[in-house]
Amino acid sequence: MKLSLNWLSNFIDLKDLSVEQIVDQMVECGFEVEAVDRMSEGTKLIVGKVIECKDHPNSDHLHVTKTDIGSEVLDIVCGAPNCREGLKVIVAQVGAKLPGGEIKASTIRGENSNGMLCSLKELGIDENLLPADSCSHTGIEELDDRFNVGDTDVLKKLGYDDTILDVSIYANRPDCLSMYAMACEMGAILSRKVTLPDFAGKANIGTKSDFKLSSVSKNCPHFLAKVVNNVTIKESPEWMKQHLRANGVKCINNLVDISNYVMLETGQPLHFYDLRSNPSKEITVRDDYEGKYTALDGIEYDIEKGDLMITSDNKPIGIAGIMGGDNTKILDDTTSLIIEAALFDHAQIRRTANRLGLQTEAAARFAKGLEPMAQNKAMDRAVELLIELADAKDFEETVEYGKPDYEPYEIKETLSHLNALIGKEYTMDEAVAVMHRLGFECRVEGDSFITSIPSYRASDLKIPEDIDEEIVRLTDFDDLKSTLPLMPQTVGKLSNIQNIRRVIRDILTGHGFYDTINYTLVNKKYIDESLLPSGSAVEMLSPLSDARRYTRTSLMNSLLETLSYNLDHNNENVDLFEISKIYSDKGEEERLGIIMEGSFISDKVKHLEVKTDFYVLKGLLTQLLDQLGFEMNGRVSVHENELDVRHFHPYQSAVLMMDNKVLGIFGKLHPNYLKSMKLNDVYYAEMMLDVLSDAKPAKIKAPVVSKYPSISRDISLMLKEDVKVADLLSSIRKAGGKLVKNCEVFDVYQGEHIEKGYKSVSLNIVYEDKEKTLKTEDVNEVHDRVLNDLTSRFDAKQR
Amino acid sequence: MLDFEALKNEALKAIGEADEKSLDDLRIEYLSKKGKVQSLMAQMRDLSAEEKPKFGQMVNDLKNAISEAMDKKKEELESALMNARLLSEKVDITLDAYKPRSGNLHPLTLVQKEIEDIFIGMGYNVAEGPELESDLYNFTKANTPEGHPARDMQDTFYVDPSHLLRSQTTAIQMRVLEQQADKLPIKVICPGKVYRRDDDDATHSHQFIQCEGLVVGENITVADLKGTLELMIREMFSKDAKIRFRPSYFPFTEPSFEVDMTCHICHGKGCPTCKGTGWIEILGSGMVHPNVLEMAGIDSKKYTGFAFGVGIERVAMLKYGITDIRDLYTNDIRFLEGFKR
Repeated sequence: MKLSLNWLSNFIDLKDLSVEQIVDQMVECGFEVEAVDRMSEGTKLIVGKVIECKDHPNSDHLHVTKTDIGSEVLDIVCGAPNCREGLKVIVAQVGAKLPGGEIKASTIRGENSNGMLCSLKELGIDENLLPADSCSHTGIEELDDRFNVGDTDVLKKLGYDDTILDVSIYANRPDCLSMYAMACEMGAILSRKVTLPDFAGKANIGTKSDFKLSSVSKNCPHFLAKVVNNVTIKESPEWMKQHLRANGVKCINNLVDISNYVMLETGQPLHFYDLRSNPSKEITVRDDYEGKYTALDGIEYDIEKGDLMITSDNKPIGIAGIMGGDNTKILDDTTSLIIEAALFDHAQIRRTANRLGLQTEAAARFAKGLEPMAQNKAMDRAVELLIELADAKDFEETVEYGKPDYEPYEIKETLSHLNALIGKEYTMDEAVAVMHRLGFECRVEGDSFITSIPSYRASDLKIPEDIDEEIVRLTDFDDLKSTLPLMPQTVGKLSNIQNIRRVIRDILTGHGFYDTINYTLVNKKYIDESLLPSGSAVEMLSPLSDARRYTRTSLMNSLLETLSYNLDHNNENVDLFEISKIYSDKGEEERLGIIMEGSFISDKVKHLEVKTDFYVLKGLLTQLLDQLGFEMNGRVSVHENELDVRHFHPYQSAVLMMDNKVLGIFGKLHPNYLKSMKLNDVYYAEMMLDVLSDAKPAKIKAPVVSKYPSISRDISLMLKEDVKVADLLSSIRKAGGKLVKNCEVFDVYQGEHIEKGYKSVSLNIVYEDKEKTLKTEDVNEVHDRVLNDLTSRFDAKQR
Repeated sequence: MLDFEALKNEALKAIGEADEKSLDDLRIEYLSKKGKVQSLMAQMRDLSAEEKPKFGQMVNDLKNAISEAMDKKKEELESALMNARLLSEKVDITLDAYKPRSGNLHPLTLVQKEIEDIFIGMGYNVAEGPELESDLYNFTKANTPEGHPARDMQDTFYVDPSHLLRSQTTAIQMRVLEQQADKLPIKVICPGKVYRRDDDDATHSHQFIQCEGLVVGENITVADLKGTLELMIREMFSKDAKIRFRPSYFPFTEPSFEVDMTCHICHGKGCPTCKGTGWIEILGSGMVHPNVLEMAGIDSKKYTGFAFGVGIERVAMLKYGITDIRDLYTNDIRFLEGFKR
């Protein structure tokens, strides 16, 4: 909302207030002032007359002038093409501060110049605000007879001395888009008296009308129309043009200007149709029109079913609430018109305006919502101005379709409820004073104060808490004390999944991984190459771009892209993870993605290097699950990857299962898949966190430590290379029974001295009896059983 | 008698010059059964009965003196040996020859965790909800019915006519209110990702993280909201921070406030970060709108509540001096590694 302080001062005395004071007060009362625009800027300006104008001897376009400013005659060089003798001009004297800088005495190509002859553009006035015939478009401003040599109030006289506040209006205050309502608001903010013109009932004139109004759409609840048979088109008065310009509205002629002016005053968009070109003495609002229609901007728009159209005799004459039509627009010779003041559904106007890309002032106001009495107010004001400024005669009576949705009402609030909600001790006088500042009628009954709500605040003020907000907003609030809620103590704690996330983050960051957050919305390729998606990706109805069209259904491609980005920027040994929800048509799930590349441990000084491989990743996952209470090779089992060998190396990847559900997939990514991304040797794991959070982890149970010594035995076996270590270990545990305390592999060897197709595996077995000291012969007996079992079952030879 | 003194001096001299090896030899030479000291006992035979104990005493004293000297010498030698060994093992303490790898939390995770911990300490729980949300919870139950002008404020990602990527974590609040309507009081914070149809630039991101807070009970006041927010701001930014409320508008709170805090860089004096005002806008808040309570099945005559919402990115950017929000979503480890805490 553009708020002209000059205009505002017609209603409120602002004389003793600086712009800064006004802005500060507004901010404290909940209005953000986004910009303070001075319409023009310039000090030391004075009206002068060019008494001599010669061509500059050393230039083909400059003029050398003698300009009389009353007190003296100045030598000024001027480059404007319209500079000539006898012209009355705006002179910026030496020392004048203009938007382009300070004016200094100088010599221009050998000629003295002590000042500048100005175009209005050079005084900071927006070109769009200049009248079409202004000389300032191409040269210096030419002043008329109203100006006298030596005048210094030239900007004020021109109407360009205004300050415009760009005020952002919250969605609950569309009333503030009307100058009158804003003036009331400013009166409340500044605690000043507001005097508004009284034009109520001015439209109650005219002869009986046979004009017919109707609507076939429920989205037009109220429509006022009035025929004016005799109007005179001319230029609008200067005061009106100034106010319109200050609001960034182009001045056209008195009729168009009046419709715009009344909209600014009352918030109600008006439309004037040329009565001559209206197909019949009838208007119907329709939402069933389909086809092309040319609006008064000359552009053809595609109108669809649902769009509200103003029609007459079934022919469209305007796009309702957005823009009038080309076929019924006001022309230079218009002599009679139809005034439209109607209410259209805000959501429908917004939809149509968005679809047509036609964001007019009228559409913006309809979309934000009008006050219920706006149509009547605007009609009254329009009639008053048409009589005053367009010599309007021969009115017909106002015809009405529907009625305004407003009955006067009151809100009752109690002082005790107000103070209980806010935690402050307002007095009744303070509360009532705020209501009066707002211009509301308010009466006190015991602990209650009862406020009448005017129509222009009806959309916003409905319940006692709304009244409380007005009081809070308009009184000093900085002295509010700080307390904490008094209520029964509660235990605050993280949920199971929240804890799981923290444990995972702690472990992985401790191992050198970086926590990342990537975008949910991805492109089609991510979706086509998704890892174990649980359903189809969800598509946005109106995506920002194809790159962000779908929800991701796995984390893998986000992490691959992030990895690539880091490698491209010379970051080495990049290990990353992400914990995030993913979405498909089957719903949302939470996953953990882990990506590794390069070396897991690398220290050149110490000649330490552990290259990341399948086993490093597996070890990390084992630790992670351990810390969460799920034992690898216990409750969690490792299986050959048969789920996804498109993205994974078929022989260096595995699937983790828990409680008969897929818990995750991990391993080396398939070289073919990495090729397009120019990546090598990337290891990746994606875990289903919902499976983890749904499962109960093993309870912690203190281990029983044996008091008796254990006995350790090593075995080296020659085996076929496809024998799995896990099978060896389980066979040992089975054959050894409860005496096997621990068994693990300490060497696997293939290569020189080993027959092709075979491998050597060395294992260590620790035997222990929790009840007694083991005798060698006891161990021998068990160990032989273990060995026999291994050799027979796996066709193994002891080395 | 001269024998004693001479023998003692001779032994002490030899001990003084001894090294590890010769010290053991000296022990045998002087203190063994056939050693020089013991052999003095042979002279006992010639002594009178009164002199015998005295002589015995003297031999013992000599033995102790030499033994003591030897122990002392041994200790000295061992200590010198140890010192030499330690010296030979001297390291360059300025060399970093082992760098254990350490990653760290993402700055947004870090801020979220900090906020969670502050509120968990005050007895709040951490509530979550779906990101693919129905407009019922995202808007309608938040007092923003179909066609409400506030739906215009946030251009959202709809996936079908009634579902969207949630545009505000208010949707979580609405679910909590409904779930806990008969289990009051409510004290939760609701962190989570939200999405809006904004083009990404230095200050906008189509995806970001919010954390909202919600307290509903009897006699909850705006003053309680102020106290709670003051506590949070002081924990997160600076112990001397002050806050101020500016009237604002949200459909789901009444009254509503924007909350400013004194600038954490200049402590309110005015600096470029706060554009010279001394204040920084940090969050939005208000008292839960009675319509919102009623829609959730909570008696708004009996219960009141406050709610607030803070942008995690905004806090991170202010706290850590991040100037481009996109840095938070690029995940360049040269950026990420700056947040080790």
